[in-house]
Amino acid sequence: MMSALSKKLKAWPVWMLMGILVVALLAVGAGRQSGPLTQEDRIDNVTQRLACPTCDGESVYVSQAPASQNIRNEVARQVASGQRTDDEIVAFIESSFGGQVLLVPRATGLDALIWVLPIAVLVCCTAGLALTFRRWKREQGGQASDADRALVAQLLELDTDPTDSL
Amino acid sequence: MLAVAGVSGSLGRAALLVGLVGAVFGMFASVMGTRQHDEKVLRLVPRFATLCVIATVGAFVCMEYAMITRDFSLAYIQKVGSKSTPALYNFTAVWSALEGSILMWMLILAVCTVIIAWKYRNRLIDPLVGWAMATMFFVCTFFFILTLGPANPFGKGAAGVLDGPGPNPLLQNHILVLFHPPILYVGYVGMTIPFAFAIGALITGRLGEGWLLETRRWALFSWGFLTFGIILGGWWSYEVLGWSGVWAWDPVENASFIPWLTGTAYIHSVLVQERRGMLRVWNLSLLIATFSLTILGTFLTRSGVLNSVHAFSDSDIGPYLLTFFGVIVLVSVGLIGWRGEKLRSPGTIDSPISREGAFLANNVLFGVFAFVVLLGTVFPLIVEALQNRQLIVGEPFFDQLATPIGITLLVLMCIAPVLPWRKASGELLRQRLFWPAWAGIAAVVMSLGVGAVGLAPLLTFTLGGFAAGAALRQLALATRRQGLRGLVGRANGGMVVHIGVIIIAVALAASNSYTRSQEITLTVGKPAQYGGHSFEFVRFVEEKDDRRISVKAEIIVDGGGTYAPAIQKFTNMGQNIGTPSVKSMFTKDIYLTLQPPVKVSTDTAKIKVFIKPLMMWLWIGGGLMGVGTVLAAFPGSRRKPTDPVSAPIAQEASV
Repeated sequence: MMSALSKKLKAWPVWMLMGILVVALLAVGAGRQSGPLTQEDRIDNVTQRLACPTCDGESVYVSQAPASQNIRNEVARQVASGQRTDDEIVAFIESSFGGQVLLVPRATGLDALIWVLPIAVLVCCTAGLALTFRRWKREQGGQASDADRALVAQLLELDTDPTDSL
Repeated sequence: MLAVAGVSGSLGRAALLVGLVGAVFGMFASVMGTRQHDEKVLRLVPRFATLCVIATVGAFVCMEYAMITRDFSLAYIQKVGSKSTPALYNFTAVWSALEGSILMWMLILAVCTVIIAWKYRNRLIDPLVGWAMATMFFVCTFFFILTLGPANPFGKGAAGVLDGPGPNPLLQNHILVLFHPPILYVGYVGMTIPFAFAIGALITGRLGEGWLLETRRWALFSWGFLTFGIILGGWWSYEVLGWSGVWAWDPVENASFIPWLTGTAYIHSVLVQERRGMLRVWNLSLLIATFSLTILGTFLTRSGVLNSVHAFSDSDIGPYLLTFFGVIVLVSVGLIGWRGEKLRSPGTIDSPISREGAFLANNVLFGVFAFVVLLGTVFPLIVEALQNRQLIVGEPFFDQLATPIGITLLVLMCIAPVLPWRKASGELLRQRLFWPAWAGIAAVVMSLGVGAVGLAPLLTFTLGGFAAGAALRQLALATRRQGLRGLVGRANGGMVVHIGVIIIAVALAASNSYTRSQEITLTVGKPAQYGGHSFEFVRFVEEKDDRRISVKAEIIVDGGGTYAPAIQKFTNMGQNIGTPSVKSMFTKDIYLTLQPPVKVSTDTAKIKVFIKPLMMWLWIGGGLMGVGTVLAAFPGSRRKPTDPVSAPIAQEASV
């Protein structure tokens, strides 16, 4: 059996303290700086968001095709000049290279479906599961309706005769 | 297309025809024998299966023979054969394009069919087995038709061709080409077996108690191969592609991942069925979904509607696969509608805070995950069909959605292992989760200590520690009770798999978030520093043979070993292939690639250095998943496999 001390140790207040501790630690970690990004890191970040124009579905970061090499060089120039942020570089590449270079669908028009549908499916599945649990709970509760009790009582009454004779 | 050539071509095609006949007869024998309870007819079933497998092995041998003897009268050899391909890669070239890989699929399918037919030959009189065999033969028939029609590997090629380009350079560059495709295919094709039993169960309207365990074991077997195949694929990508990643959410990768997700959902929720007799129809649906998704994935990636690094050239295989997919889905849905009620179990699940509840939450998450991956994969098709414009859905989309789903799954992995069946109280959870939670706190403290930043990776490390604590607690309790047997069985082996998954999650979070890279131009005699490591360029080494020119840059890392990233130019393809060189350590990998343009005459080399933390743990975690799967496949000590397990549970316990 569990000792009283162990029981006290594992009670709600201790758990609350543990929760606060974790949140504090995560906040420290999420807030602190990761050290300055090198230009190369920035180039990697930007090229991961751009699609290689000549290959199928690869990012500029992954692809070794010459067309990707061109885009990478342009991104490198932009990063080196230090004028634009990552987002601005992506927008610049999109406008100057044309065609489909974005790897992430936008959240407008038909494309928004790709963001909305997963959430819709998650909500539907969770709601479905919750409803099923409610139904299951009702089914369990329903075992003791008045009609059931009456039936049981009736059967118990019928049952008394043979037991009396024993 | 239909004309054949050469001795091996004619023989191979004849063998496939024999196989088709065997499969069709096998299907009829199974159906007739089952319907008329005719043991004599049923006894023929294993023989037809044997005929199929002999025919398929014969066809495969013919293909290999044609490949090895460079029989350029065949169109397929003209496409992927070359006199200069080394023996090993020439052997594997058989599955380097569409027709040959369908032939390999057929081979594995025929082997599965014959194993099932002979293993259960004495129980064929059981209608469930009879219908399962009929289903296996039906799938075989379809694939034989593919190899005889749209994916004919023995078609006659143009006259006068004396040499070919050989397989894609990426497929003659690394030994894993010998392992990754066949292992992955065993995973794919193996899913046919549980699917066949699911169809058998639906047609007969009963679940024959022992068959549940058999089906689960076959599903676990295929799932294990699928897992292993996917991990090997990641390793291959890492070793060969030169962008230092393991997974690019490429359509073909997704096509293997989607059935893996639904299969994973199944191997969890089937435990509810084993224990409580519930979720029968749901589990059958998951098996059917898993199998049909392998077919849909093959359609998406092999018909040319989607393209990827893995894609083969266009062919007219698409309509066949799509029709087959449609037939499977319609028949399955029809059967579920017709028989589902009969299989439904009476019990209820008492509380969402229970082992059963956790498995259902798991199913929701894996279902949504599978949906997300499928949606992202087919979304470009939808947009093109509706608005006639090109759209690319790439890595960032999948990463953005996979991260929260993965973290939620980790939360579930923290709690679920300690949950009892039926119902758990808050107090029980506080007791059982106390030390695992401290493992999580220890993990976050340690991560902060070594300088980790960012919310998502830190959350992954914290939950990873917590979940590993929960899994280890379970294993510790089981081994204390039963000694080493406490590591065996589905629950305990499953915990070993969990630890493998957690290690992979932590390694992925660390390597995705903290990879740093830098291009460095090195000059002979002048070592350069990056990320606390020194790199010294020694020399270029040039190698030439019939098929390629390779330039290696020898680089001494940290004054110790020599690493040699290379660029190869395959003369037949004119394509440059970079080959990275990796120094693996327990804490991090140093991944070197040689950057073009390379001027061998000079004494400078431009390299790109990636420093990737914890990469080695991906492979360690993968290995642990494999070990855990094998442990889970052995029956645990609690219950004999022949005991009925899915009998309805008495109701009084839940009142």
